[in-house]
Amino acid sequence: MSAITSNAPRVRRMTLRRRRQLSGFLFALPAIALVIGFIGVPIGQAVYYSFTQWNGLTSTWIGPSTWTQAFHNSNLWTALENNALLLLAVPFALGLPLGIAVLLHQRVAGWRIFRSIYFLPTAISWVVLGLVAERFFAYQGTLNSIIHALGFSHVNTNMLGYESTALSALGITFVFTMIGTNTMLFLTGLATLDPSLEEAARIDGAGRWRIFRSITLPHLSRFIQLAFVMTVIALFSALFSLIFVMTGGGPGYATTTMEFLIYQTGFNQGDFGTAALYGLILFVLTGIVGVVQLRLIGSNE
Amino acid sequence: MTTLITPPQESDDREAPTPPSRNTRAKVGRWALFFAMVVIAVVMLYPFWVMIITSLKSEAQFLSGGGFSWLSWKHLSATIPVGQEVLSSTIVCSASILIILVVGLPAGFAFAKLRFRTSTAVFLVIVSAMMVPLQAILMPEFVNVTKLGLTGGYFGAILVYAALGTPFSVFLFTTYFRGVPDELIEAGIVDGLGYFGALWRLVVPIAIPAIATVTVLQFIQIWDDLLVGLLFIQNTSERPITVGLAVLAAGRTTSIPELMAGSFISALPAMIVYLGFQRYLVKGLTMGIDR
Repeated sequence: MSAITSNAPRVRRMTLRRRRQLSGFLFALPAIALVIGFIGVPIGQAVYYSFTQWNGLTSTWIGPSTWTQAFHNSNLWTALENNALLLLAVPFALGLPLGIAVLLHQRVAGWRIFRSIYFLPTAISWVVLGLVAERFFAYQGTLNSIIHALGFSHVNTNMLGYESTALSALGITFVFTMIGTNTMLFLTGLATLDPSLEEAARIDGAGRWRIFRSITLPHLSRFIQLAFVMTVIALFSALFSLIFVMTGGGPGYATTTMEFLIYQTGFNQGDFGTAALYGLILFVLTGIVGVVQLRLIGSNE
Repeated sequence: MTTLITPPQESDDREAPTPPSRNTRAKVGRWALFFAMVVIAVVMLYPFWVMIITSLKSEAQFLSGGGFSWLSWKHLSATIPVGQEVLSSTIVCSASILIILVVGLPAGFAFAKLRFRTSTAVFLVIVSAMMVPLQAILMPEFVNVTKLGLTGGYFGAILVYAALGTPFSVFLFTTYFRGVPDELIEAGIVDGLGYFGALWRLVVPIAIPAIATVTVLQFIQIWDDLLVGLLFIQNTSERPITVGLAVLAAGRTTSIPELMAGSFISALPAMIVYLGFQRYLVKGLTMGIDR
């Protein structure tokens, strides 16, 4: 703001500034109200209800023993273990898209059409993709047809039917659903890469792998970080549709993740208090990843 | 690739004449690349192929494996109330997006240009809300909305979608409006537009790309969502199509060809929006990093 010399404009400026601030506050108010009312308040309530026995209508205060009880529940540990095991899918959910983005970046004939095709599954619901995946893994599904076509006619898989393999099938489906988004991210990153850098390295006699490792990959690091965070958050909070359609959390608890356990505990068992408590655990888990993401956003500003 | 020393005049231009062995090698490489791209395309198109092929069979043909018929499409509306469900999805989507825009635009304007005393802190709080998954607050949210009596119609789901979409839209609009020169707003105020007038007449018109980004991303997100529609719309006759499909699929009694036909219909609007507005989607996804 420019230097203020006389007294009269100063008064006017002050009121103008106050008016501006007031308008700003009023403009932001609906967003603040919506976010506080529907996201902020429920977090507080979840903390309170996690110490109670609650069926949705009446709640009785129990105290911290609800937490010790919850941590003695084997279902919670199974769900956390499933989430941890699914993290093994993350390298694939990043690596495959990275490879695909590099291929697309070669700008081979028709690459724009290929790009559109690769991103197309991103538009459709994970409910639909889950339905298709269920057909793929089914006893009479595509996977067995492929295995038979390869000559192993006596091999029959039914990955979703067994506790030992269902989680892997879910992980594979998750990788497929993330390909579009992550490829899109990496391709945007590659587009910002100065081609003369690669050219210079090539003139200096660097091989393809060397160029990729020393120039392309470091340049993409911010995009890889962002994709990593988005993938992990999706893994913790977006698998519900896939699980609901493909396995319903089963067989047994083989594909029950934290988010699905919350739903089951609350709506199938009617134990709202424990479900609220599980919600808080999920909140902390994603919060850790979220802090990383905010750091990333912050570092760019 | 072997390290061979190339004469300088050749390295200037990649299309310059090269020894035949390198040329054929490059050609083979290009074909291998093209072949790999086709293979990936086949994998990515697999869901659409499954949906179309399977929906073109009757239940009996599906079980036996052979033949095609329109039977599943003909009987579709008897199994899945497709028309009603698409209508529900459309209502929920449009109303939620409208609220997200009406609430997000002035907030973004305020956080970028009309900063008040605590605005930075408030902005950070709203942006952090992006990181809160609905599952984490599902139980209190469900009970609150039920107690407000909003799970009967569409309103509960609309408000929850709006609240979940608002943080991202506020973030995107704030970032976008920071790029608008202060002088433009000042000029508008001097001309007597007022802050609301400045927002409506000056800022919104130049924010069309940001509005499109928010709209496209939220449309796909809400159209494709299951959890909110499943819990916050209790009336089965008001179910969105994604919810309708998921519930039938989880029941394991509906004919699979009919489910696939329904899936295809549900996927169509999102695919059209996606193909039409691809660049806005990319923009929204890389927001916060691509600046």
